[in-house]
Amino acid sequence: MKRMIAGIALALMSLTGPVVAEEFPERPIMMMVSYGAGGATDFQARIVTMTSGNEDALGMPIAIINKPGAGGRVGWNWFATQAEADGYTLAAYNVPHFIAQSIKGGVEYSTDSFEPIANWGADPAVFVVGADSQFNSMEDVVAYAKENPGKLTVSGAGLFVGHHIAALQIDKAAGTKMAYIPTKGGGAAAMKAVIAGEVMGGINNLSDAFRAQEAGNVKILGVADLERSSFLPDIPTMMEQGLDVDNSSVNFRGVMVPKGTPQDVIDKLAATVPEMFANDRVTKKMKAGGSPMHIMTRDEVKEMWAQRQQTLNELLAGL
Amino acid sequence: MEFIYYFGEVFTPLSFLLLLGGTIGGLILGATPGLSPTMAVALLIPFTFQLEAAQGLILLGAAYTSTVAGGAVSAILLKIPGAPANIATTLDGHTMAKQGQGARALQLSFLASAVGGVFGVLLLIFLTPVLAKWALAFGPSHLFWLAILGVTVIGTLDSPSVVKGLLSGCIGLWLATIGFDDIMGAQRFIFHPALGGGINIIAALIGLFAIPQVLTMFAKGRHNKGAEVIEVQRHSILAAIRELTSRTRALGIGTLTGSIIGLIPGVGGQIAGLVAYDQTKKFSAEKDKFGTGHSEGVIAAESANNAMVGPSLVPLLTLSIPGSPTAAVLLGGLLIHGIFPGSDLFDNHPDVAWTFINSMLIGQVLMCIFGLYVAGLAARVAQVPQSVMAAIVLALSVFGAYSVQGSMGDVYVMACLGISMFFLERFGFSAAPLVLGLILGPIAEANFIQGGMIADATVGKASYFLTGGLNLLLIAVVLASVAYSVWMELLHRRYTTKEEAQA
Amino acid sequence: MNRSQHIIGSGVVFAVGLWVTWVSYTQQPAEAFLFPRLIASVFVVLAGWTFGKAVMGLSKVGNGMTRTMFINMMPGLIVTLIYVFWAAKSLGFYTATAITFFALLSIYDPASHSEAKTWVKRGVITAIFVTVMYGLFAMLLNVYTPREILF
Repeated sequence: MKRMIAGIALALMSLTGPVVAEEFPERPIMMMVSYGAGGATDFQARIVTMTSGNEDALGMPIAIINKPGAGGRVGWNWFATQAEADGYTLAAYNVPHFIAQSIKGGVEYSTDSFEPIANWGADPAVFVVGADSQFNSMEDVVAYAKENPGKLTVSGAGLFVGHHIAALQIDKAAGTKMAYIPTKGGGAAAMKAVIAGEVMGGINNLSDAFRAQEAGNVKILGVADLERSSFLPDIPTMMEQGLDVDNSSVNFRGVMVPKGTPQDVIDKLAATVPEMFANDRVTKKMKAGGSPMHIMTRDEVKEMWAQRQQTLNELLAGL
Repeated sequence: MEFIYYFGEVFTPLSFLLLLGGTIGGLILGATPGLSPTMAVALLIPFTFQLEAAQGLILLGAAYTSTVAGGAVSAILLKIPGAPANIATTLDGHTMAKQGQGARALQLSFLASAVGGVFGVLLLIFLTPVLAKWALAFGPSHLFWLAILGVTVIGTLDSPSVVKGLLSGCIGLWLATIGFDDIMGAQRFIFHPALGGGINIIAALIGLFAIPQVLTMFAKGRHNKGAEVIEVQRHSILAAIRELTSRTRALGIGTLTGSIIGLIPGVGGQIAGLVAYDQTKKFSAEKDKFGTGHSEGVIAAESANNAMVGPSLVPLLTLSIPGSPTAAVLLGGLLIHGIFPGSDLFDNHPDVAWTFINSMLIGQVLMCIFGLYVAGLAARVAQVPQSVMAAIVLALSVFGAYSVQGSMGDVYVMACLGISMFFLERFGFSAAPLVLGLILGPIAEANFIQGGMIADATVGKASYFLTGGLNLLLIAVVLASVAYSVWMELLHRRYTTKEEAQA
Repeated sequence: MNRSQHIIGSGVVFAVGLWVTWVSYTQQPAEAFLFPRLIASVFVVLAGWTFGKAVMGLSKVGNGMTRTMFINMMPGLIVTLIYVFWAAKSLGFYTATAITFFALLSIYDPASHSEAKTWVKRGVITAIFVTVMYGLFAMLLNVYTPREILF
């Protein structure tokens, strides 16, 4: 009898005991997205993880769970403080959002709280105005902003997200002061404010702006990146229009795990996940949806995080 | 009339099978506590990866329409509203079920849903270009006044005392501010880590409505058998249709309110049911019967929340702006097939667009037929013994609250709110105004702050919020609503004091 | 009896109102607490009014609780609290649900405790219910709930 109990106990322990990398993953994985269902991050996260159940990927499906609120703070705070570091809980990150928020304070995470796995996309911020707007280039925008300090209303998805960083950079480069209006409800709400004429201009994701321009609702005036986008070959970058705005506001999206996740699990994920992103079906669907892809490995992401941390520290120091 | 041309597409074998699957699956998902229509549609997205664009959207469209209606099933039978849209349905629907009239309540709710739903989709088909302009006309200041209009409803909604109704509303408004403030990102009232993400509305709904009911069943104790077996009355579908046609006022007000409110981006279907319920009550000749199992309440609430489905897609299909969370998920469903909503959709992929819209139209009818078919059977839930029922509702609440975000914190919040609500209800507070406060708080606050920021940069707060035709119209409606409530209260008071004097 | 209950009930609400008001007016940043201040002010006034009425014995609506209700409810409430705040997470959702379900049936089912048939029936109902829940949430909806013992 005693032996039987011991046997059962042993069997139970092997079920719940520490994860060994060879067996990882042995059950479905959860990935937390800190924006609402249907937003750009959520939509892309669902596509890039759709093949994870395949044998050549992780062999187990990834389920997306949304924890939206306060520009991502709610989700990342939960992830840093309450998520289990067992490799079965992943999260999507948005850089520069979470780094800028950690610099501004009031949250319980920083780049040290997380371990990056891989990057799947890079979505630059663009400046949009309504289709019938008086502005036709960034030059017009800057000229108006200079004449009317504090009167040019510009919408974006929240405070200290990529859009806000771009607005700050434009202000710094041109010596202007625009009225940045953060909206509740993400990029879609910010875009609606531009189309409906509630604000004079807006900063939004390239992927969303591209779609709105196709639908004939907005004009895109500039891209806040180092190079022109393959989706918008005719739209000049901010640099080309004489504004010293680099790629600090580009929205990098990828996967991370909490600090303290076993190293062998991290290694396994870091080796498999970038390949999963590169799957043909994934890239095809991403392209169809107008979402620019940019796959980076764990080491590349680490470097990118460190670099962003530095530039954002400088940019946000004066605020 | 282009849409008729594409009807054939819906009836090819595979499409029809998907439509049927989406409808039945949607009803089941909708009836599952904790699964809002948004989550149900998001769950189905992976299935559409393998399908053609048009077929994928048939599945999603059918599921969207039927999850909204399916929410009524758990609202009526278990008093667990599946989504904010179904709150108003519980008020009279569950009382009817407890009186053994569950079949009647379900039949009426499915019929009213179908009428409202078909009307909403027809609006989408014929008036889309006009409606799109309307949807855009609502800026921050208008949404703010709209939320305030909702607040004026709080005091009179399903509450025996106006002061306690308002106080319940205030508690709800306060609960909504817990967590990170959405615009500034500051932490507010987070006195326990489980509250870090704020109070999730779906988890709160489950707790506030289901748990007090569980505790009430506990409080009745161990009965002797046969003491309180509810006789479930059979109710013929014909009689339900006849009743619906005699309640045209409730049906009309519900359908119109739902269509108009559904159109406004950001407010969406959350409050359509409650506002329609309140309006119908105000215009009804039998005001006092509301809340005691009155069929008008169910009809108004359900016709409203399904009427909102069609118009809520107008901003998405024409302007590529998702007006509601569910619309945002549908947008994803379109994008993965490389289809951009907007002019591109109707010009280059008319087959997809119209097949999708048609599937919602047929989906409404299928949903109604299927719902009516199971209504009689489902109503037998009321016969389940109290002890079993209490245990079932409790377990469903825990699973439902957990599955919203996969978080134990939501389960704790659900239980705490539920247990507190049970005691508050014993002292004359009620859950409906509290929930309305919880829903309206964030809408009012975000739009006030955002509008204020725009106003400060441009014309100033006073003229931003207080001028313009739409603002003035909304303010006038707010004032009328307040005046009406005060007048009714005074009338009621005189009436009751007279009665007391006589007695 | 009823009056003292009303005093306790509205007293607690009033206390919460005071706390909310105090927090709203003392916390920083002020801009983020603008809206809470507005709500808290109305909240505390209404709660004070209700409390005052309760103290004067003028509360008309709400029936309070009777002793029998309270005694009847207690075992169920305790099982609920254990289930939600401890068992669900520590034993796993399905195990905890099975135990809670069976416990609640045993407490509140009016059938005689001395017959073996009753216990079999309770066990069967529990098994069916947990199976349905597992099928719905784990298999159909793919919700990953905490699992500690068994499944």
